Amino acid sequence: MVRGLIALAAGLSLAAPLGAAPLVVRVVDPAGKPVRDAVVTLYPASGARAPRSGGRFVVAQKNLQFQPFLTIVPVGADVSFPNLDPTKHHVYSFSPAKRFELKLFAKDQSRTVHFDKAGVVALGCNIHDQMSAFVVVSDSAWTARTNGQGFASFGDAPNAAERVVVWHPYLRTPSGTMQQALGPAQRTATFVVRLRAPPPTMAMDY
Amino acid sequence: MPAFRSLSARLTAQFALLFAAAMLVVSAALSTLISGSAAQQVESQLQSSGAVYDRLWQQRSRELQNAAQLLARDFGFRAAVATGDTATVQSALGNAAARLRVRTAFIVGADGQVWGIDSAVPAPQAASLWTSLDEGRLTGVSVISGRPRQLVAAPIMAPTLIGWVLFASDLDSKEMRGLESLSAIPLQAAVIVDDHDGWAEASGSLSALDQRDVPVIESHVAQAAAFEMNVRGQRAIALAKPLPTFSSGDKAMLLLAYPKAEAMADERKLQWALALLTLLGLSLVALATWRAAGRITQPLARLDDAAGRLASGEPVQVQVRGTDELARLASSFNDMVGRIAEREQRITQLAFNDVLTELPNRTMFQQQLDHLFRAFEGGGGIFALHCLDLDQFKVINDTLGHPAGDTLLIEASRRVRQAAGGHFVARLGGDEFIVLQSVGDDRQAIDRLAREILDTVSQPLTIDGNELVPSTSIGIAIAPQDGSDGEALLRSADLALYRAKEAGRGTFAFFEESLNERAQERRQLETDLRLAIERGEFELHYQPLFDLEQNCICSFEALIRWNHPTRGMIQPGEFVPVAEDTGLIVPIGAWAVREACARAASWPQNIRVAVNVSAVQFHRGALHETILAALAASRLEPSRLEVEITESVFLEGGETTLKLLHSLRSLGVRVALDDFGTGYSSLSYLQSFPFDKLKIDRSFIQNLLTRDGATAIVHAITELANALGIETTAEGVEETAQLEELRAHGCSSVQGYLFAEPMTAGDVDQLFKDGAATVQNVA
Repeated sequence: MVRGLIALAAGLSLAAPLGAAPLVVRVVDPAGKPVRDAVVTLYPASGARAPRSGGRFVVAQKNLQFQPFLTIVPVGADVSFPNLDPTKHHVYSFSPAKRFELKLFAKDQSRTVHFDKAGVVALGCNIHDQMSAFVVVSDSAWTARTNGQGFASFGDAPNAAERVVVWHPYLRTPSGTMQQALGPAQRTATFVVRLRAPPPTMAMDY
Repeated sequence: MPAFRSLSARLTAQFALLFAAAMLVVSAALSTLISGSAAQQVESQLQSSGAVYDRLWQQRSRELQNAAQLLARDFGFRAAVATGDTATVQSALGNAAARLRVRTAFIVGADGQVWGIDSAVPAPQAASLWTSLDEGRLTGVSVISGRPRQLVAAPIMAPTLIGWVLFASDLDSKEMRGLESLSAIPLQAAVIVDDHDGWAEASGSLSALDQRDVPVIESHVAQAAAFEMNVRGQRAIALAKPLPTFSSGDKAMLLLAYPKAEAMADERKLQWALALLTLLGLSLVALATWRAAGRITQPLARLDDAAGRLASGEPVQVQVRGTDELARLASSFNDMVGRIAEREQRITQLAFNDVLTELPNRTMFQQQLDHLFRAFEGGGGIFALHCLDLDQFKVINDTLGHPAGDTLLIEASRRVRQAAGGHFVARLGGDEFIVLQSVGDDRQAIDRLAREILDTVSQPLTIDGNELVPSTSIGIAIAPQDGSDGEALLRSADLALYRAKEAGRGTFAFFEESLNERAQERRQLETDLRLAIERGEFELHYQPLFDLEQNCICSFEALIRWNHPTRGMIQPGEFVPVAEDTGLIVPIGAWAVREACARAASWPQNIRVAVNVSAVQFHRGALHETILAALAASRLEPSRLEVEITESVFLEGGETTLKLLHSLRSLGVRVALDDFGTGYSSLSYLQSFPFDKLKIDRSFIQNLLTRDGATAIVHAITELANALGIETTAEGVEETAQLEELRAHGCSSVQGYLFAEPMTAGDVDQLFKDGAATVQNVA
């Protein structure tokens, strides 16, 4: 497995621009199973490069769920919240990065929220407790989520000492994140994380 | 098993022991059951109290949890927590705490910060709380600020987890007392916790926990079983229930204790009752077995007692009850007693009575006699002893047979008893009877009784068709003059009887002193006779028998003489009866045969010798051997020896006598019948044995010339003898006329003073020397 990772990393490096090299981060749980939807952010020692700002993002409410569950947006992005359900929703966030409330909006109504601060914004619906989604407002251009195999790869990761921060909605640490410092030539990193069980989905009783 | 003196005691002991053992086993089993059941009951009471506590705990938990969840879901509260609106949060917590009656409510943030009311949680504990919450633990016991508390938490989702709201309910003494009061039994409840420093009582009423009990408690927590421990210095039955703790390192348990004294109070009562019942049962068993054993053994005891009394000679009968073995035994015992009495009576009768005549026997007579002697001792009175002997009884017995003799004896005894008229009558044996007569002054009464007896006895009677006239002789001795004791008196009476017999039978005689003297003389004679054989005082004289046909001496009859050292020559008539009575006739007779044979052997060949043989010799002496030995020793021709017997030899043992006579004849010895014509002989003897000679008794010869009858008899005898081919010898011939007469009758030979007196052996020898063997002069 490790040998495979190195081969993959080597393959990626061929396409990398000068001063940059591919970096692969893997996130697994203590049992070694891959963890998906973990957000990996690189902070180069030289300072973070801001991602491209702007852009429109959609977090819809459909079938009493937020879709998608995880959205990574750059600082300053606008996210619209269209209600595709026949019921009303009361979308809210108490997260410090963005505190807002979209009170009782009905089907086919859409509200837009501007996210101007980096951080994780946890979204909930005051009417439907089981609805949960996350918007990660990133201030680093190197922000990626792990795929089904637990890999997050950066093709142009800066070739300098850097800090890698991993966040996951259910990560069991008081801060909710884990981070590692990478050596100058280190092109791979593995995070072993412990996750809480996702909140139980409530029965649909209407 | 010790030896018991009574069967009843043994039965009682054995059965009582058996029953008691069974009862004790049952009681022990019951006691164990009661103990077990009591312990089980206590345990189940404890368990149910524990279950009650579990329910209470869960109820409280659920109540707190519901409240915490409600609060955690409240949007406003979540907003306040998320935004750090402390004032709002404090008031919300305070409100909920008041409603739930808890004093402590606080929030543990997802970042580990603790805040709220009464929330002085030290940092390490806060971290441990966060860890437990983070692991998903939402209820449990925790010691906060030194007090055990039931913690309940609910996560605050906004919408992600931002922390937990916690309520803490105190587990203090008040709580424990509440629990104690809910229980049906007088429980003591306590929570003990081990927060890394060892177990200690956190709250409750046990006071100080004895550390020695800790291992016991710990070992019983897991198996949820009751155990014993010390509570306030007393033993108690306890149950430990583990309580969920909030922090994983902590341990807590609820301890329910039930003081043993109270728990087992009922059991103790039951045990006492059981012990009492057992004791009562044991006494009842002992009493019942004692009574039962008594009932069983009572008949045995009665038998035992009866047997003891029987042994001491008492006539006893045992009461028979029922039909069982003991009853049969008692009945058999009674039968046995009866038979023993019968047998005793029979034995007594046999011992003291004659079987044939049923008269008292000699033993009883002796007693009676002794009794009379004692009764008359010094009294001056007299009594007579009549000694009876039936006359000719022996002859009757021999001629008519013993059954006839017995019949005579029975009849005689009946008659004597009749005549005795109440006086004591006994049979001494044989034909001897005794009558003891007490007499006053009238000595004539003795004569009268004797005559009465003689008359009565001599009535004729018929036995087997033979008419008999029995008679008896009576000798009478009178006490005390004729004998100072029984023995002497009887001896005197015997002598008198002897005299009566002498006097001609059928009469009675009184004892006189002279009788005694005669008896003494006779005893002296006996003594001298014995000595005479040893000293050789006997001597044979020989009397010639003269043959009338050949006119010469043909034979000598040997006649014994006793040359007594002091009394001189004693005639055979004087000593032979004594010698016969004493049996001395046997050696004397044997000597005579030997001596006669030896003498005769030196005589001329044609001269015979005749020897008298007594009936006693015939029956008691080995006569055949004696004669054989004498012939052998003398080398005398057997035909020269003639044995003279009297008819009396036929009176006893007819067959053996004949056999002996024939055996003598087969030797060649001649046999002559002496004293023929006297006595009771009959002619049948002549038919039964071929005698060589008949010697006609001298009484006939003496009367030969004076009495016609005598001549006829002598004539008849010689005629008869001649017809049978038997020689005849006439004895006691003293006159020539007699000789002539005898010769005329055809008598073979004669003997008597007319020819020669008995002479000594020397004279015989001289006679032969002189050549006068043929006595021509007389003829």
